[in-house]
Amino acid sequence: MNQTVVSYLSQYEFYDHLLAFFGNNQGLLSFVIYMIFILIIVTMCATIGGLGTYAERKISADLQQRVGPNRVGPYGLLQFLADGVKMMTKEDIMPFTADKFLFYLAPLLALVGVFSTLAVLPFSSGFALADLNVGVFYLIAISSLVGVAVFLGGYASNSKWSMLGGMRGASQIISYEIPVTLSVLAITLLAGGMSFGTIVGQQKGLPFNWFIFHNPFAFLAFFVFFTGALAETNRAPFDLPEAESELVSGYHTEYTGMRFGFFALAEYIEVFVVCGVAAALFLGGSSLPFNISFDILPLQLLEFIIFMTKTLLLYYVVIWIRWTLPRLRVDQLMSICWKYLTPMAILNLVGCSIWIVVFNGKSIAELIFGGH
Amino acid sequence: MFMQLLFGLSALLTLSGAIAVLVTKNIMHACIFLLASLIGIAGLYATLGADFVAVTQIMVYVGGIVILMIFAVMLTGGKDFVSRAQNLLGLAPSMGNKWTYTVGLLVSLVFLLTNVKLISSIVKSHPAKTFGNEFPSTVNQLGHLLIKDHVLAFELSSVLLLGALVGAAMIARPRKQ
Repeated sequence: MNQTVVSYLSQYEFYDHLLAFFGNNQGLLSFVIYMIFILIIVTMCATIGGLGTYAERKISADLQQRVGPNRVGPYGLLQFLADGVKMMTKEDIMPFTADKFLFYLAPLLALVGVFSTLAVLPFSSGFALADLNVGVFYLIAISSLVGVAVFLGGYASNSKWSMLGGMRGASQIISYEIPVTLSVLAITLLAGGMSFGTIVGQQKGLPFNWFIFHNPFAFLAFFVFFTGALAETNRAPFDLPEAESELVSGYHTEYTGMRFGFFALAEYIEVFVVCGVAAALFLGGSSLPFNISFDILPLQLLEFIIFMTKTLLLYYVVIWIRWTLPRLRVDQLMSICWKYLTPMAILNLVGCSIWIVVFNGKSIAELIFGGH
Repeated sequence: MFMQLLFGLSALLTLSGAIAVLVTKNIMHACIFLLASLIGIAGLYATLGADFVAVTQIMVYVGGIVILMIFAVMLTGGKDFVSRAQNLLGLAPSMGNKWTYTVGLLVSLVFLLTNVKLISSIVKSHPAKTFGNEFPSTVNQLGHLLIKDHVLAFELSSVLLLGALVGAAMIARPRKQ
């Protein structure tokens, strides 16, 4: 566990003063620093999730030649706050026959699953909560809590539409985990490690050092990963668990007020996390061009901005896809996963490993320009 | 401090989850308490410094086994399957009568003694270690062990899993009339 917030801060002088202030209790100080940064990151990502709903409506309005929200605040920017207040003040209704315990638990489980993934997201080389040795693997594992939450939300409501939505959600998330994990495995092979620090560190320099341009198989793996991630976050064209034309609203049909808000927020933050992972794995993450390596704070800010730019551009693509493509049928969903994406992901994995052996781990750019 | 906190929370989660699985009368709730217990075990692995095993625990049990269990419960009747026993012995759903409990107690006693006998030698030869704030990495060591020393078992288990997969596909596929 290196390159975390604490070890990054510890190279500065004020860290020693802080340490003295806490009576040289290293554990307590790191605990406090972690708590502060967890608060910052969770607040930031919740705001991004809220603004995501605004972006979704505004971009969809642009694509459909409408105006979109434009009343609350400048350009309607504060619309998500108004929505939040509305959800808070709504009556909290629970169906009479619902399973009370699971009904209350499901939205919280969805939020816990998504917020836990934020722990390893590499915002910049110094500003990440933890750089675990099993970073990507942890992220894939802990985000499967969302699948359980979707399923429980569908089951606990005791409604046919919710049940169908939950069933679809669980089977979809389990199925699409396979191509996503296999694509991640290909990148893990190229990087030689599962921690985000290692993966991002290997992609320093110009864009052709990014893993997406490393070899043809990695290029394909990016699209397999992105498609699978869309399906795992229940985004259109894979939004079958909440298909509003057939299932009213899917697994959260019976939820009102802030409990529905939790599900919606979890979905938008999960999309952000998935885009961040795609940016970190394939698009260089927060690495700076030209191998600049002065360790000063403004540079950290620059890295942070680079990471956010890549992530939010992918976020835009996700919304763009949603309002462009029609929804798939259930059988098409399954055949795409098992007949096309999974074989492609296996091909990418085998191709990447053969590439590493044959070309000694060099990328195309290094082969052409004769790199280091 | 992290480690003590992590251990305390994980142990609490594991034990309370396990007890709740036994006490609850709703089988769906039991699945969720089992989930809590399994996450607690992952936390215990993390306390021991086995990061890869901890994450694999979450991956396999949360993402796979528990969802499969919930599917199985729902396909076999869901929440209608509720114990209606009133006394203490019948609290756990469909666990039998006092004779099965007696036999179970004796068997678990034998297992306990055997395990204590087995573990005591390990505990004696490896004194308790104290960990700092650093997580030691086990990924590389595990990879080397799996691919070098235990490659036969690794490959055989993959063949076994493939067999299970093909068998499931054979059973589930639609029959031609």
